[in-house]
Formats: sequence, structure tokens, C-alpha cells
Amino acid sequence: MRAFLYDRPTAVDEAVAAVAADPQAAFLAGGTTQVDLMKDGVWTPDRLVDITRLPLRGILVESQQLKVGALTTMEELAAEPVVAQRLAFVREALLHGASVQLRNMATIGGNLLQRTRCRYFRDPTVSACNRRSPDSGCAAVDNVARMHAILGVDERCIALHASDVAVPLIAVDASVLVNGPAGQRRIPLTEFWVRADEGPSIENVLGHGDLITEIDIPLLPQGWRSGYLKVRDRASYEFALTSAAVALQLDGDLIADIRIALGGVGSVPWRAREAEEMLRGTPVDPLRFEQAGRAVMASAFTVPGTAFKVDLAVRTLSRQLLTMTEAKR
Amino acid sequence: MTATQPDLGTWVGKGIDRVEGPHKVTGTAPYASDVTLPGMLHAVVVTSTIAAGSIVKIDSSALLTLPGVRAVFTHENFPRLNTPTQVLFGEAPVVPMQDARIAFHGQEVALVVADTPQEATEAARLLEITYAAEPPLLDPAGQRRETLPSSPDTSRGDTDAGWAAADVRVGATYRTPENTNNPLGLMGCVAVWDGDHLEIHDSTQGTIALRTILAGMFGVPESGVRVRVPYLGGGFGAGLNQWPYKILAAGAARELGVPVKLMLTRPQMFRLVGHRPNSEHQVRLGAARDGGLTMIEHRATSLSSMDFPAVGLLTSGTPHLYDCANVATVERTVRLNRRYPTSMRAPGEAEGNWAVETAMDELAHELGMDPLDLRLRNLATERDPATGKPWSSNAVIECCRVGAELFGWSRRDPRPASTREGDLLIGQGMAACGFFAYMPMSQARVTIYADGTAAVRSAATDIGTGTYTIITQVAADLLGLHPQQVDFQLGDSDMPASAHSGGSGLASSLSNAVIDAVSHLRGELLALAGPDSPLHGLAPDDVVCRDGALCRRDDPSAREPIADLLAGSGLVELAADGRLRPPEGAARDMVHAAAYGARFVEVAIDPMIGRLRVRRVVTVTDGGRILNKKLARSQILGATVGGIGQALFEDTLTDPGTGRVANGTFGDYLVAVNADVPDVEVAFVGEPDRYTPSGTKGIGEIGLVGVAAAIGNAVFHATGRRARDLPITVDQLMM
Repeated sequence: MRAFLYDRPTAVDEAVAAVAADPQAAFLAGGTTQVDLMKDGVWTPDRLVDITRLPLRGILVESQQLKVGALTTMEELAAEPVVAQRLAFVREALLHGASVQLRNMATIGGNLLQRTRCRYFRDPTVSACNRRSPDSGCAAVDNVARMHAILGVDERCIALHASDVAVPLIAVDASVLVNGPAGQRRIPLTEFWVRADEGPSIENVLGHGDLITEIDIPLLPQGWRSGYLKVRDRASYEFALTSAAVALQLDGDLIADIRIALGGVGSVPWRAREAEEMLRGTPVDPLRFEQAGRAVMASAFTVPGTAFKVDLAVRTLSRQLLTMTEAKR
Repeated sequence: MTATQPDLGTWVGKGIDRVEGPHKVTGTAPYASDVTLPGMLHAVVVTSTIAAGSIVKIDSSALLTLPGVRAVFTHENFPRLNTPTQVLFGEAPVVPMQDARIAFHGQEVALVVADTPQEATEAARLLEITYAAEPPLLDPAGQRRETLPSSPDTSRGDTDAGWAAADVRVGATYRTPENTNNPLGLMGCVAVWDGDHLEIHDSTQGTIALRTILAGMFGVPESGVRVRVPYLGGGFGAGLNQWPYKILAAGAARELGVPVKLMLTRPQMFRLVGHRPNSEHQVRLGAARDGGLTMIEHRATSLSSMDFPAVGLLTSGTPHLYDCANVATVERTVRLNRRYPTSMRAPGEAEGNWAVETAMDELAHELGMDPLDLRLRNLATERDPATGKPWSSNAVIECCRVGAELFGWSRRDPRPASTREGDLLIGQGMAACGFFAYMPMSQARVTIYADGTAAVRSAATDIGTGTYTIITQVAADLLGLHPQQVDFQLGDSDMPASAHSGGSGLASSLSNAVIDAVSHLRGELLALAGPDSPLHGLAPDDVVCRDGALCRRDDPSAREPIADLLAGSGLVELAADGRLRPPEGAARDMVHAAAYGARFVEVAIDPMIGRLRVRRVVTVTDGGRILNKKLARSQILGATVGGIGQALFEDTLTDPGTGRVANGTFGDYLVAVNADVPDVEVAFVGEPDRYTPSGTKGIGEIGLVGVAAAIGNAVFHATGRRARDLPITVDQLMM
């Protein structure tokens, strides 16, 4: 690891100004992604601005939403009783997303900004990585891919966004508040990330010096239920091969309303609007569940190591829909 | 020496806690990584980013201006060393950095030495190397530079006739991937020279082998090299070979005249200290309608590195487990531009057993016979079928019967895909297994002191299995002492030479050396007994040590306090050496048997999403005399976890174009975690083995063998789908 400068401001404006003033500076929160990247020699900032002393930690419960400070840890959000009552799939995704040690370090703001786990991205001896070095190629496409994306990708980059909690968050239309050099603005998560097939080296819409200060999470209305299913090779301590976050409201045998997002498949957390539209207002029907999944996968781009994920993602969604509707039947 | 040592049983067998446990849990056990010496510099290895070709240019001068950097060694300035001496576990190391040639991706090409590990790491990152790359040989099925015989080919009877005579035949190809040993302790060393004397603190499993190799390479006498390994953070075989990193540290320390510390990183542990190589097996089995095997054919191929020998052993168990007249084994190794392989826990056996025991399950299915009955019908329990000589012990049938009883095998519905629980398919599988006997030479010195305490010293290492504890128990019984009165010191090559901790051989080898040493010590003590002593004229086997005295075995009231014997001759201590002795009497005509086992597994599979969970494991082992039932159980438990990993997760992947390790981190290379491991029921059966006085059989590896096949066979029983390639992953199980 090379030497770097370290600042620890106590005010948001101060932190934003410190990063904005230095093109080689970056914010540091829990560090669970960044420190790994620095150890690997993939990311070499000259200055780290530690934001963990900023007053951005804590959860404000309002009647229709949660206002979550960006420095709230994964564990703190999972432990919030309202999350268990009104956003069950957020809690499940948090608990399945990391070990308790990581959940106590990792912040919600940082979780949304985590970098891809692609081993080609994370090994500086691999020169072909369009995400790291524009126009250098993609080693993952030609080599060993498994923990890679099949949606929002093409032959230039198949990097996966591996966050679990971002999947239910994008399903409920959460948004982030951002403070930057140009002031404050709100960005819906559905517009926050940039798909790899829209530019592999750009991961989100934040500019240099932009700092996420708050995540606003709408509560599911009373009478909705939600759940998160994560499929992975081993039982714990692994990113998803595929996952499905589903929230729905049943009216007798009808799916009155539904929100769906998929994980483990996209270069960004994947809101499955096609599936929502196919299922909204329709009777519970396993065949239709599968058709809805297939519709989402219609645009999949696969390599030999990821081809199985198309089918697995469809099955993961179907299983989660079956689980959540059979209980009602 | 008597065939079976009668004095073991007071402390031996008891599940006492590890004697070194307090040191480990308080952080005071010194591992190589903990050694810090005055003036010590830190070295970091730089590895190649091509798999074949040569180095054209290394621009090391630029690094020397960086903060803290003291030296950069490359093939241009690293000392030329002597060709390494061949030692037991004789995969002599490839001498590093002697020329510009590159033979695999990740090969050691430079060593950066700096004041701190951070400075060395950063400088290593910045080192610019220009290569002339050549197309590497990476495809085992492609162009092959060289094919080596591995284990010797074996043949008995006529397999063609056995095939022709069979009523039922099966034949298939089975594959296992590369697995990486991954001991938790990162390997590394501290080397320091004092003139022509080298001392090295290392994480080797064999102190004497490292001593011999370093002495030969650096041209100093063996007495001038001291290897210190009081503790090592595991190994699973990765510490058997004397890897280039140690030679680099020793060479740099000599050139610079200061102590040099070199610790590998986790990604380097995937490249520089060996792995279980990929293997492919063609197995054919023939059987008569009653299940009697008419032939076994096992052809296997593995991989090695360009400049490296074969690990082999893939077919080593096949000729011995089943009583069959017609058996043939053939084994080859293909050399490619790949990193060095090595022995990994149950080398060869773990892979070969996967193939043969899966084939046995296929045969049972074709025969319409219970897989357990097929084993019981064919297991060779009295004599080794390859030689016709009697086994020194063999309780594999009892392993199967006890395991079946504990598991409730008789309640299993034999039809595949017959058992459902909601969304889940439930399957039960089993496998039988054996492990080869291996017992290299060990020596030990036992010293008894005037204060009534004793010390045992040997250059052995405790890889974490419990060697400190079990040898303390053995010595306590032989000397009639409490374990707290026995201090077992190990891990120092200046002590009596010992075998490495490997091949499941050390417990037998060293316990017998201690038995021999104590026998000699009794002789020495008897020699101190004057003509008036009740012990005068007795032989070493006529006396025992009890309660601080030497006593007649048949009349303990005839005794001499040991302190009095010593004082009478002006001695404050008395020592005797011992070593592993060849078998005597009837044992000479026996085949030395190693451990046996039977594994029973239940899996639950959700076929919609390909999710497999191991729900239950019953593992039964014939380990001869068990020296410490708690540590023995731990060995089997840990090996079972390794077997679950082999079956379901572990898979070191290589980039097809470059030969780079594609998943060399603990985030990407999956091992079993707690949530993957169900309750495991461990049982031991059998009697003390007749081949050596201690009656022990190594149990460090047998626990892993058979687990993968039992899981795979349970997958077939659950689903009706046969898995022949490991690991068995989600994508194979979606139905």
C-alpha cells in the first residue's frame, strides 16, 4: 500500500470541500471495500477524507419513510424495528449480505457505492479491464466468469454490482440525498447507477466531491409483504449467484400490486419492471411467474461461465413468488 | 522390543486438552511471523505475469531510490546456488532466480528488501519487468511437452477376462479440480546468518529436510544450519516441500548480512506453496450378478509444473481396498506451464477414492444392490489382495457396519429420487475408504531429571494436529509420570532428527521412537543399579517406571527411586535416544495397514434453485490405537469439513489464456464455512495395529477420504442424477 494523506473533518461542508479541492482525494467511511482495493493496489488515492466523524449516523422514522443517515451501519439498519415490520426484505438482504463483523463496519452509503468483486478488476496485473482502464478490454469475458453480471452488460464489461441491500432498496424506490460542490440534490436509486453497457468505466452519476448524506427509504404500505431470496454456492459469507427481492399486496387470489428487483445478475441492482407489469393485477399463477422472469432475462448477455444464471434467476424469482403467494392461498 | 507396548493406557487414549493450548489462546506461541530480530529487513516476492518465456529487462535501479528500499534481487544478482540435495519428500525445490526463464504465471522473479513490509510491498508493486512471452502450454488435452509416470503401474490377473466375465459393467470418467491447501497461517520465514551458520525460523512441516536442502544449496555443513519451527499455522501439506521463498530469504540474508523476514501474502499462497492438482480418472468395474467384483481398472492423469515431479498417488489405494482377482492401475502426470503442485491432505487418495467409490455406487445401482452390501461383499479385510499377505489390522467392515447402524442406513429407500420433504429431495449416500501406510524414520531423546521431571526432544513439527500433546501422553505413560511432569520440545533441527508432519506418518513414527528411547533409558537406569539392588541384572523389558521409581514389572514392590539411582552415580540427569525400529516377529510378514473408514451422508437438495445442504454426516474410522480421543475426533471433524469443501466448493481456477490463478483470495476461493457443516458424528473402531509397538495408525488424512464420494452418491440417491465432476455446484443441481 502506498503512502497517502489522511484528513478527518467534522462537518459535511468541510469534507466535501476537502475532496473537491483535490482530484486524487476520496471519501472513506467503513472502508470495507476501499481498504481491500488499496491493499490490492487497484485504487491508489493520494488523500483520504475520513467521514466517520460527520453527523450522518442514525435513523429517523417518519410515517411514510425512513430517513437513514449515510453512516448508519448495516447492522444498525437491520436492527431497526420498523425495518423488520415494514421492510422485511431490506432486513433479510442486510442479514444475508455480510457477516456481523462487516455489518458493524460497513455503512449504508458505502454499501451503495461498493465496487465490483470481479477478480479481473481487482488484480492490477490484469491489464484488460475497461472498468479500471477505459478501452483496455475485458479479461473476464474471455476467462473465468461466474460471479458476473448478465443484465446491463455487453462484451466490454460484465462486472456485477454485488450489493444485496441495494436490491430491495431499488424495489421500493429509495433515493439518496447528495451534498456536493454544487449544493444538495436528491437522486432516485433507479437513476443512481450507470449500467456497464452504457459505459463500463462510469459506475454512478456522482461527480467528484459528491457525498451521499442520507438514504430515504419509503415504507411499504400496510398490508404488503416482502421477502428476499439469495441463492449462492455456500450457505454463508458469499455474494449472490442470483437473488430476488419481492414486495407485494394480495387481494384474494389477485396480485394487487408488486415490486420486484433482482440481484446477482446486473451491472447495477436490477429493477424488474417488465415482471412487475406482467404480474400486477393478475391471478397467482406459477406459469406466469416463470414467464415474468423470462421477460426480464430477454436482454441477457452471457458468457459460458454465466449462462446458467439466466435459468437460475428465473427460478429464483419464481420460487420467491411461490413462497410469498402460496402462504396466502 | 515387544510387539505391542504394554505400558500405554493411563494417559494415552484420554482426551486431555492440548498441552500447548494456553500458549495459543494467549497469543504467546511464537510462529515464524512473530519472530523479530534486531536490524531485520523485510522482503517481498515479485511474481511473473506471464506463464512461459523469459525476462528481458528488470528495471530495479529505480526502486533503490524509494524510501526504505535496501536491495532488489533478480536473476541477475541473486547468488548462484548448488543443485539441491534430494530429501525424503524429495520434490527438491527449483532453485529460484538462477536464470531469466519463466515456467509459470506467478513464478518468483524478484525480491524487494526494505526497512518495513509496507515499503517493500509498495516498491514491489512499482517494479517494471519486460518479458519475452512464449505461448504457454496450459491445456492438459492440448500439446503436451512431457508425460511422466506417477505412481507405479500395477496389474494382477486379467482385467480383459474380468470384463468379459462380468454380468454387470460400469465405466465412466471422473474429474477433480485443483484445490489449494490454504492453511490459515500465512507461510514465511526469518533467516539470519552468523558467519557460515544459518538459522531460519520457518513454517515447514519438516525441519530436517529444510536443513539438509539449505546446507547443500549454500555449501555449508548440516551442523551449520538450524531450522526452528516451534509452531506452524497449519499446512495440509503446503509445508512439506521446501519452497523457493525460503531460499530467497536465506540468500538475501546472506548477501545483506542482516536478518531477513519474508511473509507470503494470501494470493501468493495460491501460487507459491503448492496445491492439489487437477485429476481425471477412467474407471471400469465389472461384477457378477451376486455383486462379486470381476475386475477393477483405474486409469488416472494429473498435472504438474514444467520443472517439477508428479505428486501421484491417485491410484495408490485402488489395488488394496477390494478383494478382486483382476485389477489394473495406470497413472500419468502431464507437465504444463502451471504452478507447482504438492501433497494436499490425503493426496491422491481423496481424488482416487472419489472416482472409484462413485463407480462402486454406479455399479450397485446397475446391480440393483444396496451400496453398503456391495462394499461388504468385496472389501478385503484379512489379507492385502495385492500381495496376499495378512494385514497388520483392518476393521473396514466394522467401519461400515457401525456407520450404517449409527446412521440408520437400513431405513433408506434404495430407489433414487424416492424421498421428498416439501420442496426438497432427500438423499443418502455412503463410501468406504482406506489410506496408504506411511511411516518415515523419526528419532527422539528422552531425558529424566533428578527432580522427577522429564523432557522429550525431537526435531518434529506439530502442524496443529496435537503432536505436542500425544507424545507427552505417550511419554507420561512410559515414564510413569503426570503429563505436567513431561516437557515435550520439538520444532528444532538441532534436536534428534524426525520425520516431517505429513503422510499421516508422524504419530506412529515418533511414538515408536519414544517407546524405543524409554526402553533404552530403562536400560541405562538398570545399569546404575548396583549388585545389592532388587533390580540388578534385569532386562529393560522386565522393568517399568512408576511413581518416580524403576520397578519390576511383575513385582512393583521391588523398586529403586530414580532420583536415588541418579544421585548414586553423581548424575543430575540421564538421557537416552530412540528411533523407529523395523517390525519384529510376526509383524515382518504382515502388510503394514493404515487407517480405514466409512462415510455416511444425508443431503437435502432444492432442485428448483440447485441448493444442496449436507444435513448429516456419520464418519467411522479404524485408526488403530487412539492416543487422544479428543484430538482424534478433531482431526476427523476437520477433515470432514475439508471433504465437504472438496465435494461442493473448492476449485482453484486458472485463466485459460494466461495461466493466472483466477480466484486466489479467500473471497473468491470457497471453502466450507460453519453454516455448510452439519452435526458430524465421529466414531472409532478397531484394535491397536500389530505392525508397531505403539499400535497407532495415522488419522490426519483418512477423515477427508470418502466424504466427497458419499456426498456425490447421496446426490444421486436424492435426484437420480449422477455427478462425476467436482465440485458439485448449483448449476449441476438445477432440475
